[in-house]
Amino acid sequence: MALLPIRFERRLTYTRTAAILTTILAILLAFGAVAILFIILGLDVAAAFQTILNVFITPRLFFQAVVRGVPITLAALGLAIAFRMNFWNIGAEGQIYMGAFASTGIVLAHIYYGFLPEVLVLPTMFLTAFLAGGAWCLLPAVLKAKLNVNEILTTLMMNFIAILWVAYLIYGPWRDPEGFGFPLSIPFPDYAKFLFIAGNQAYTGFTITLIVAALIYLLFRYGKLGFELTVIGQSLDAARYAGINIAKAIVLGAFLSGGLAGIGGLSILSGIIGRLRPDLSPGYGYTAIIVSFLAALNPWLIVPAGIFFGGLFTAGEALQATLKIPGAAVEMFQSIIFIFIIFGEFLKRYRIVVGGGGSGG
Amino acid sequence: MVEWLESVLAGAVQMGTVYLLASLGEIYAERSGILNLGLEGIMIMGAALSFLFTIAYGHLTALILVVIVGMLLSLILAVMAVSLRLNQVVVGLALTLFGIGMSGFLTHPTIRGSVLLHLNPDLPETALIIQEAPKLPEIPIPGLADIPLIGPVLFKHNILVYLALILSFAMWFILFKTRIGLSLRSVGENPAMADALGVNVALVRYLATLVGGALGALAGAYLFIGFQPFWVEGMTAGRGFIALALVILATWNPLRAILGSLLFGGVEVIQFRLQLIGLGAQAPQFVLMLPYIVTIVALSLLSFESVKKRIGVPAALGIPYSREEV
Repeated sequence: MALLPIRFERRLTYTRTAAILTTILAILLAFGAVAILFIILGLDVAAAFQTILNVFITPRLFFQAVVRGVPITLAALGLAIAFRMNFWNIGAEGQIYMGAFASTGIVLAHIYYGFLPEVLVLPTMFLTAFLAGGAWCLLPAVLKAKLNVNEILTTLMMNFIAILWVAYLIYGPWRDPEGFGFPLSIPFPDYAKFLFIAGNQAYTGFTITLIVAALIYLLFRYGKLGFELTVIGQSLDAARYAGINIAKAIVLGAFLSGGLAGIGGLSILSGIIGRLRPDLSPGYGYTAIIVSFLAALNPWLIVPAGIFFGGLFTAGEALQATLKIPGAAVEMFQSIIFIFIIFGEFLKRYRIVVGGGGSGG
Repeated sequence: MVEWLESVLAGAVQMGTVYLLASLGEIYAERSGILNLGLEGIMIMGAALSFLFTIAYGHLTALILVVIVGMLLSLILAVMAVSLRLNQVVVGLALTLFGIGMSGFLTHPTIRGSVLLHLNPDLPETALIIQEAPKLPEIPIPGLADIPLIGPVLFKHNILVYLALILSFAMWFILFKTRIGLSLRSVGENPAMADALGVNVALVRYLATLVGGALGALAGAYLFIGFQPFWVEGMTAGRGFIALALVILATWNPLRAILGSLLFGGVEVIQFRLQLIGLGAQAPQFVLMLPYIVTIVALSLLSFESVKKRIGVPAALGIPYSREEV
């Protein structure tokens, strides 16, 4: 536009190679930006990057990356549903907490009242985590569908409420009576953990993400709801003309979206930390937003993208332990990657023409 | 009773100033058609940097620098949303995540010392480890400050509280009574028409976004050095998003924003009070939920109205503009 003597021409098509290259470029630029900041502050860049690289080439650490990638991937798969229909669910973090809350409830109920056979505990946890996460997204969805209330703000507010709710439980009624006063629930028994594939949390979690990714792929490839959500995302008018019940589709899509984040919450407890804690998620729900964009909402790409970000969290812990680089560095790094990915979106869509001409003026 | 009312109202004004400053800037940005979801990130950066800059350079320089950083951060949004026509929601979120991560990183005890020494190599060892900074001084207005009730509520605050109130009136006047305001509103309502009438759409949107960034950062700085000068990571706690809700409640009107910010400021003061009198001592979490619940309820109630009347929403809010692709 008029501020600079350059003009942007919309590309009609772009190749898959171009898309992959811009994504890689975005990540490299983010590494560059962080390197500059670290050098200014006198931090050891080479050692820091070596630590990050180690996560992806050391089997033991890579397993941790996969395990941490599970909740991120599940939440991101859910967000892909919401974002396809332009429902800006920013509430995955809260939905994760609600899923964690519900699954802990089942474990405690089983331990204290024993109302379920042990084999049914984990399936029931899946169900309740899904319902709780979905329910947490339901209010914003209904408000959006019926009253056109901005869902960005409501889903965000619901995050704060969910985190406080879990804090209340864990500092109050659900605190482990033998936990020396620490804000922790009683540890989960093995039958409530992700150990049912090869007795290993990484394999189990990874298998679950693959199954969910396949389901989401099928939903959008063949499902009626998937088609309706895509149309709604592209044009509300088109959806109306096509006779789609928009309110119903939005509410259903949002419920699925929140439900998957809820299972993400379950996967944190059963797959990583083994009990309820007030700080159970270091922002996985927000990272999931970045992951779903990095993968361009493609369910198959969300899985490796989720593992990559899981690896960054793993690296963050190592950086903290060995180089005294604070955990917030990971959040900062992720957000810089996000900014460059968005910028890459521009490079994919437009060609830059220097020197005006045409109608650019 | 009067004393109690006095302190609650004065508290609401002081707390409300955080919301007022942030929402005033956002009103201008949104009136031009730019939704700045990065507000939370800009505010937390404002708070964090007011902490570091005040220790390094003192209040005045800190405030100036914070405003400049706020403008630079919102410039990222302006470039990406106005010039590159990228999705404002996504860019704004990225900016918020950046602000939260960056502020936590720069103020972390292991990093802060080295950041402060970069800013000012002459700082004594003790300044590098403290968690707090001197608070902005209170400036009672001579004469007026002694009036019972009204004095302490309105005329016994620091400079930023007065500035926010004055800005509300000035920004209302500019928005509704001047040509500049007309250009701003037309760009947010119908950019193609404004363009045809000779308004530089991109320039107006850039400037409005910068105003939003400057005031957002100032709001964060006020929260720290003007209100609670003890650094806590993530201390804005979603207030930037509440300010975005407040803009909707105020129907994009700077004077109504005063009422809205008093409401949310009041809710927070009541929250402190409830904790003080022991209510919620058992479960403070429920009291802490109040501002977020009030935000959802207020947005929902307002929507009943706005569905009927469609009050005040800038028609082109969130939509990129380009001559070639109208």
